[in-house]
Amino acid sequence: MSHDEDALGSLAKDYRTTSGIPVEQAYTADDIADLEPARDLGLPGEPPYTRGIHRNMYRGRLWTIRQLAGFGTAEETNGRFRLLLDQGATGINCVFDFVTNRGFSSDHPLAEGDVGQGGVAIDCLGDMVQLFDGIPVDDVSVSLVLSNPVGAGAIFAAYLAMARRRGIPWEKLRGTLQNDFLMETVVLTAPNILEPAFSFRLSVDVVEFCMQHLPQWNPISFAGYNYREAGADAVQEAALVIAHALAVADEMVRRGHPVDSFAPRLSSFFTADNDLFEEVAKYRAARRVYHRMFEERFAPRDPRSSRLRFHVQTSGAALTAQQPLNNVARAAYHALAAVLGGAQSLHVSAYDEALCLPSEAAALTALRTQQVLVHETGVARTADPLAGSYYVEHLTNEMERRILAYLAQLDELGGLVAAVESGWVHHELLGTSYDRELAITSGERKVVGVNCFTDDVPIEIELFRFPSALEHQVETLEELRRTRDAGAAAKAIAELRKAATGRENTLPRLIDAVEAGASIGECCDVFRELHGGWQQPLL
Amino acid sequence: MAKMGFDAHYRGAMMVARHLVQRGMEVVYIGNRLPEEIVRTVIDEDAQVLGLSSLSGNHMVMVPRILKLLRAEEVMDRVKVLLGGVVPREDARALLAQGVAAVFGTGSSLDDIADWIEAAVGSGSGAVHT
Repeated sequence: MSHDEDALGSLAKDYRTTSGIPVEQAYTADDIADLEPARDLGLPGEPPYTRGIHRNMYRGRLWTIRQLAGFGTAEETNGRFRLLLDQGATGINCVFDFVTNRGFSSDHPLAEGDVGQGGVAIDCLGDMVQLFDGIPVDDVSVSLVLSNPVGAGAIFAAYLAMARRRGIPWEKLRGTLQNDFLMETVVLTAPNILEPAFSFRLSVDVVEFCMQHLPQWNPISFAGYNYREAGADAVQEAALVIAHALAVADEMVRRGHPVDSFAPRLSSFFTADNDLFEEVAKYRAARRVYHRMFEERFAPRDPRSSRLRFHVQTSGAALTAQQPLNNVARAAYHALAAVLGGAQSLHVSAYDEALCLPSEAAALTALRTQQVLVHETGVARTADPLAGSYYVEHLTNEMERRILAYLAQLDELGGLVAAVESGWVHHELLGTSYDRELAITSGERKVVGVNCFTDDVPIEIELFRFPSALEHQVETLEELRRTRDAGAAAKAIAELRKAATGRENTLPRLIDAVEAGASIGECCDVFRELHGGWQQPLL
Repeated sequence: MAKMGFDAHYRGAMMVARHLVQRGMEVVYIGNRLPEEIVRTVIDEDAQVLGLSSLSGNHMVMVPRILKLLRAEEVMDRVKVLLGGVVPREDARALLAQGVAAVFGTGSSLDDIADWIEAAVGSGSGAVHT
């Protein structure tokens, strides 16, 4: 244990929030003198939605409890889905392995160590049919955590083909696709990455297709959570989410679609991190800025077009491998921030997340954390309980000011896609991340169990491995190639190439291709052949 | 410095790379590559240290293959192989026995990694290449 400190130590002398907003000893009405409640707050459910997007907030409907599942083969993950639904889960949140997420075939030489690891492996329509076998996809909401536009379209195409095969009309499908080009080009890395502009175009193809055929589907989820995990602070997280939404809206309008035809289905995904009041202010400010920017730039008639809806996952990056049970406390505070900030749905991260895939005990504790929050703390009784707090309103104003400044900077750089192409966004995130790392190393920023209140208990990392997935997927692909009509598959791939080369929406061609027996990898190879090989400007 | 296979998280590798550059070293980051490409780069760049970053758990497949190729190319004795990331204890033990020079797991400090490299390379072939 730590020695010459008393039980709490002393408060860090740096009185700033995590993203650097200075904090005074106390706040008074003077600090929010410029706040006009009618203009800047409104009522819950009313513009500018600072106070939340629903009038009665959680009285009408509690947030959705959604926990992740996905590993090994389609059959194994299908078993987990059934278990979760049997136990009362109301939605499915499916994660895919990195190979699938990037639209590569499992038998690619680079894939050997990653097939079925950390998510389920899907190579073709047959896998998708098996993944959702017996799952009422016309009834439950299904989140497909497909981050990268390179693969999201093809795998979503397989999902749509699966529904068609089962006779389920697409209008009945409810769910979310992540489909975020920043995930592909900034947040994560992979072999043979698509050029940002092309990745962005593919993501908007899905938005456009869903607008026409899947009125209940969220075709994109701006993954602020992951921007944050990659290094962003709260301001950068919110600003990048809003900039991304505006970029998609610009492109859809350019393609000739009125804002109200697609904007109500744009959705976002935020983290909930340590700095409780700053996080609450982030959600509130983000809703206000989002509303104002959409009003100003697109003048929607449908009020839903300018409402920021979001899912929250409590921070993974804030959890520590040292003294892992401390993470139960951290995640509970994170979840509290999300609920005080008016989240629409919530995933609480498991306390062993820094060590391994969640164990049963940790996953259950995460679920119980949500239930304690709902049923014991009373925080969900009234909408936006922190409204009017001098401090929280001041922080909300300050977050808004900083988010707007960041958006202006992105505009000056030529917009989000250009700022990614030049490496500006990468350097922003890495710079913030590196500074934070140094602050932790130097002890300037305290992390309990890491640089203070430490102990000598060794860190035990445990990895889940599913050795059978590779062999199974290789067999699946071999069988696919043996049994399909090779001419039809080749023709469908040629049609896809034609659409991708021109301006035609790629999704209908992707559906044709997977139905004709093309593998996911073959579809996505088309995109890589045309616009692959982009070097991420990281160093 | 390289990532193996489809391992997708680069932040740790970039933090280390930035810090090593701050400490005066030259870092070549090649992203996600096949073992053959990684070993080819070690030879072409005449690298003294090969840093491999693993967060997805594919190191037990990829690292032994890289070590085998380094031996086949007869460069194993002039490059130190470092593995960083999420590495279970038993994996670390096995890979150290196979020829990995050091493993820096979760919670390692940037300075510890830089210090280790300075000590290891300094004792081998002279000054840090910058």
